[in-house]
Amino acid sequence: MPDVLRGVKIAATAVREVARGLNMTFRSMFEKPVTISYPEEKRPVRARFRGRHDLNRYENGLEKCIGCALCAAACPADAIFVEAGENTDEQRFSPGERYARVYEINMLRCIFCGYCEDACPTEAIVLGDNYELSFTDRRNAIYTKEMLLKPVPAGGQPTPQTTPPGVYTRSVPAMNNPSD
Amino acid sequence: MMMLKDTYSAEIEATLAKYPPENKRAAVMPLLHLAQRENGYVTKSALYEIADLCGVAVTEVASIMGFYTLYHDQPGGKYRLQVCTDLPCALRGANEFLEQLCANVGVKVGETTADGMITIEAVTCLAGCNKAPMFQVQTGEGLEYYENQTVESAVALINDLVKR
Amino acid sequence: MSKQVNLTIDNQAVTAAEGALIVDAAKKVGINIPVFCYHPKLEPAGMCRMCLVEIGRPVIDRATGAPVMEGGKPKLQFGPKLETSCTTPVSEGMVVITNSEKVKAARKDVVEFLLTSHPLDCPVCDKGGECPLQNLTLAHGPATSRFLFNEKNHNAKHVPLGDLIYLDRERCIQCGRCVRFQEKIAGDPVIGFYNRGRQMEIVTFSEPGFDSYFSGNTTDICPVGALTSADFRFGARPWEMKATASICTHCAVGCNLAFNVRREVGGKNGSPSKGGIVIKRALPRQNEAVNELWICDKGRFAYQYSESPTRLATPLVRKDGELTPASWDVALEYAAEGLLGESKPGQAKDLLVIGSGRLANEDLFTLRKLAEGAGGQAALYSQSGGGDLLAQVGAAPGTNLASLGKGSVILVVASDLHEEAPIWFLRVKQAAERGATLIVAAGRPTRLDRYAKYVIRYAYGEEAQIVAALGDSPRRAELVEAAKPAAAAKPAAAAKLVEAAKPAAAAKTVEAAKPAAAARLVEAAEAFGKAENALVFFGSDGLGQSGAQSVAQACAQLLAATRHVGRPNNGLIPVWGRANEQGGWELGLKAANLQTALQASTTAYIVAADPYGDDPSLPAPSFLVVQELFLTETARRADVVFPAQAFTERDGSFTSGERRVQRYYPATPALADCRPDYAISAELGQHLGLKLEGRSAAAIFAQIATEIPAYKGLTYRRLAETTNATAIGAAKDPRDAEERRCADLYYSGAGYENTQGLGVQLPLQTLSPALSKPAAAPAAQLSKTGLLAVPVTQLYDLGQTVLPSALLRQRIGEAWVGVNPADAAEAGIEAGAAPAAIVQVVLPGKPEWRAAARIDERTPRGVLLIPRSMGLPLNAPLPGASIRPVVRRDSQEAASQQPA
Repeated sequence: MPDVLRGVKIAATAVREVARGLNMTFRSMFEKPVTISYPEEKRPVRARFRGRHDLNRYENGLEKCIGCALCAAACPADAIFVEAGENTDEQRFSPGERYARVYEINMLRCIFCGYCEDACPTEAIVLGDNYELSFTDRRNAIYTKEMLLKPVPAGGQPTPQTTPPGVYTRSVPAMNNPSD
Repeated sequence: MMMLKDTYSAEIEATLAKYPPENKRAAVMPLLHLAQRENGYVTKSALYEIADLCGVAVTEVASIMGFYTLYHDQPGGKYRLQVCTDLPCALRGANEFLEQLCANVGVKVGETTADGMITIEAVTCLAGCNKAPMFQVQTGEGLEYYENQTVESAVALINDLVKR
Repeated sequence: MSKQVNLTIDNQAVTAAEGALIVDAAKKVGINIPVFCYHPKLEPAGMCRMCLVEIGRPVIDRATGAPVMEGGKPKLQFGPKLETSCTTPVSEGMVVITNSEKVKAARKDVVEFLLTSHPLDCPVCDKGGECPLQNLTLAHGPATSRFLFNEKNHNAKHVPLGDLIYLDRERCIQCGRCVRFQEKIAGDPVIGFYNRGRQMEIVTFSEPGFDSYFSGNTTDICPVGALTSADFRFGARPWEMKATASICTHCAVGCNLAFNVRREVGGKNGSPSKGGIVIKRALPRQNEAVNELWICDKGRFAYQYSESPTRLATPLVRKDGELTPASWDVALEYAAEGLLGESKPGQAKDLLVIGSGRLANEDLFTLRKLAEGAGGQAALYSQSGGGDLLAQVGAAPGTNLASLGKGSVILVVASDLHEEAPIWFLRVKQAAERGATLIVAAGRPTRLDRYAKYVIRYAYGEEAQIVAALGDSPRRAELVEAAKPAAAAKPAAAAKLVEAAKPAAAAKTVEAAKPAAAARLVEAAEAFGKAENALVFFGSDGLGQSGAQSVAQACAQLLAATRHVGRPNNGLIPVWGRANEQGGWELGLKAANLQTALQASTTAYIVAADPYGDDPSLPAPSFLVVQELFLTETARRADVVFPAQAFTERDGSFTSGERRVQRYYPATPALADCRPDYAISAELGQHLGLKLEGRSAAAIFAQIATEIPAYKGLTYRRLAETTNATAIGAAKDPRDAEERRCADLYYSGAGYENTQGLGVQLPLQTLSPALSKPAAAPAAQLSKTGLLAVPVTQLYDLGQTVLPSALLRQRIGEAWVGVNPADAAEAGIEAGAAPAAIVQVVLPGKPEWRAAARIDERTPRGVLLIPRSMGLPLNAPLPGASIRPVVRRDSQEAASQQPA
């Protein structure tokens, strides 16, 4: 008797467990899948994600970058290369006297530490949310200024611009107090 | 172009004669006054001429002219009315005085009246603190001091000056 | 050694020379007092107040004169206020406190004040990274400012002070270093202060703006980014560049340079470099015995010729009458065949090898070896002469112009040092201001006259006689005799050519001045004879080869006769036109008369010289090989042209006019297919069947050291040695120089540091007896017909090494000819016209030439001054010249009606 009873108990347990398992299976068949079909679908990145850099512009289209090369100095991987040029009112790229004539980032060297962003006095360079960095040639890993610059915002003009004299005399935007 | 030498040759000779030939540079300041008498300000060409006369670099002449506030490098009125606005004068109401005076005359500080007679300027220390508001009038000939002024007395003086 | 003073700085016992400033004394024991306006080469001004310290002085008992004691120590009296340590000299028993809370608070406030209107635009400032204001603000300044940010003075940020220097008015902290440098050191007060207080600004009124040959130095000493050079504007950040030591190639001074280089993608001025290393700027490299901390603007900006896009890049061989690119092998083979001609190797008697002073010692040595081996002649391309004498009477080792002061005499003959060697001008001027007696003997007024005690005028052609008269007392007696009014009738030749006068009161009436002039000459000669030390500079103002030779001879005899030879700070210094002409002479090359030399040879190998550009009338050899940087007039005539490397691309050594051998290093990679001169010559030698060393400059220098006695024992390593004794400081008493030395400089950042060699001065040979006997130099026989055209030197000329610099090109100006007003009037040329009248210059045997006439008294009567390398080739004084007026170019029509 006890043998029979034990056999039934075991069978009942088995059926219950299988039913529980199948329940889970059937339930998940109707759940939304957690995987996404990259690259058709993309997952949004976190707010503080550090991806490929962007070079920002002001609303009027002038570049924020003034070619000071502090990002290059701050870069622990020596990934950034800057050559500065001089603005004139006829050929203006950025406010003030100086602009980046050449701006290159070698994405193979970049470690996405964000020091460049910290060093930038004009908030020109920011780490964006683009993580799609794959190359078939090392040389393609060097991003030039044209590739990094954000598109001209609506209502702005592309650079170089012709600007009235005496307006864009400051490289670093007006601060209320340097201690801020 | 009118040269100082053409107009004031005798006076230049006399000024230069006052100093030993190896110290001709001493004549720079009297000659600057002379140049200013002509136009109410020192023209750039006069700077070059004085540098030449005194045998010093033109930049040195310009530096001397720039240092002293009684030399002017910009044209102004025939009379320059210079109101002291340093702290003691300001405490005695020099700023308000200047503001009201300007409003009365109809110019801003540093500007010249339309008839080219009066320029009102704000200057620092004229050593008349205890009698502020005060100002000096710079004419082609020299300086006149006016102390314990009110807007009314100043306007009256201006009317006088214009008639002179 | 001057008197020593004991004091205490921050509890450290310090011994300093009497008269030393506290700031320097502190520096010596490693206490850095922050400064902005103080500069060890300038007189203290006390303008910035950054160096405030507490100073206590021992109280002296008036009755006894002894210090009052208190508890066993001298009683100290501290001033109620802080004092500036940069203007206060040390005194006995002084106690200085530089790190008290009071001092720190004062510094903090001073920085806060200095920054009230400073724009804080360090990210875009060229000085950022090597800026004293940045560093001292970080070290001593407050983190925040109590001034309202909106009340900052906003001034012009882009003010060109001339073409070379930009001023940012906002950044200026009014320390006056630039103004004081220009006034005191350069003697060129072309920038000054304008207005005062917060409105004070730097201005220039000169034409053209900031018209000084030394303007670039103000950007180095500016403690903020107010003055920046146009050349380096936004070029790179200081921390991105590496420094390479080099030597300036533009004159015989041999200023030490540092090239700052970095990799570039964009390339500047259309230079060929793409991703390669380029020179971003040239800075002075400190060498207290040569250029101290300064270089002239030519040295600073003219290096750009080395990166000119017109440089030759491949060998050229003449094919069907055209120069066409060829491989090195073909070109070398062809050149060797052509140079040899019919003759056997080693017997090419008709071969003439010419090298110029632009080449390194190694190149010139290889050239001489090649000429000797091939059996031909080697010559130095030079318009000057007399270099062979310098091995005996040159500046003795240990000579340093900075140590000349009272008791020394400097004689400058036939040289406008300001144009020919600006740094020597500076140093001679300073020596004169320290009390050295300066004698200037020149055919025309020069800038140096102002600082001279004796100015001696001579007629062009009689230079050597005047020098001889200085050393020869009987002749002087004759002069005095001749100048006496009673003897006026006597047609003494000497009297009419001597006109010496005190510079301040230049005598107008020559007749009246004559006796005085002769007396002055006598005085000058006596001063020279009695001097403790005497240096003689001779240049090439109005001299040709033979003229220079006889002047050098006369100078050598003068020095030998007065025993100013073989001791430090004595001797003869030639003002050569090129950096290494002295090296040429030392290595056995001699200046030759090219007219006869080229006449005598059928083949020629010309290296780094443009004789046909300088004198198109020279005879042409049947086969010509040229080794050059550019396609010069000479290169155009060549059968083979080899492209050489510029001095920035290779290493080598130069021997300066003071006989200092100095080494330079490669700064950039070589352009295209160019090779160093010595390597080309050595390979060419191999094709001629010679075994020449050409593997490296160091290997050749080792050979020089074994073969040339003067260079014995020298190695590249020895040339690269530096010592700690980089004496900084405009020592008022030259003996104090040692006291003021400090390796750590006052100018954080800028590349003054010298770590790659101070150079070595060559030893002198014993004096040959022939020089000891004074011999009368014959006056140059110059015919008196027409005007005498004499060549003079202008710093910025149309030479191949100046033109490629876009900055300097603007300063060159138009071709000019110096004319005396009386001569101009005779020729019917209107003086004082603006723009200057254009004249046609007619010289016998030369093409006619048009130039703007500079009509003033600076040109002596009967003389035409013709600037060298400005379009009219003139290598020696030439009589029979004339001028005639031409209508100004602007009115083309009128000009065309003029008879040609």
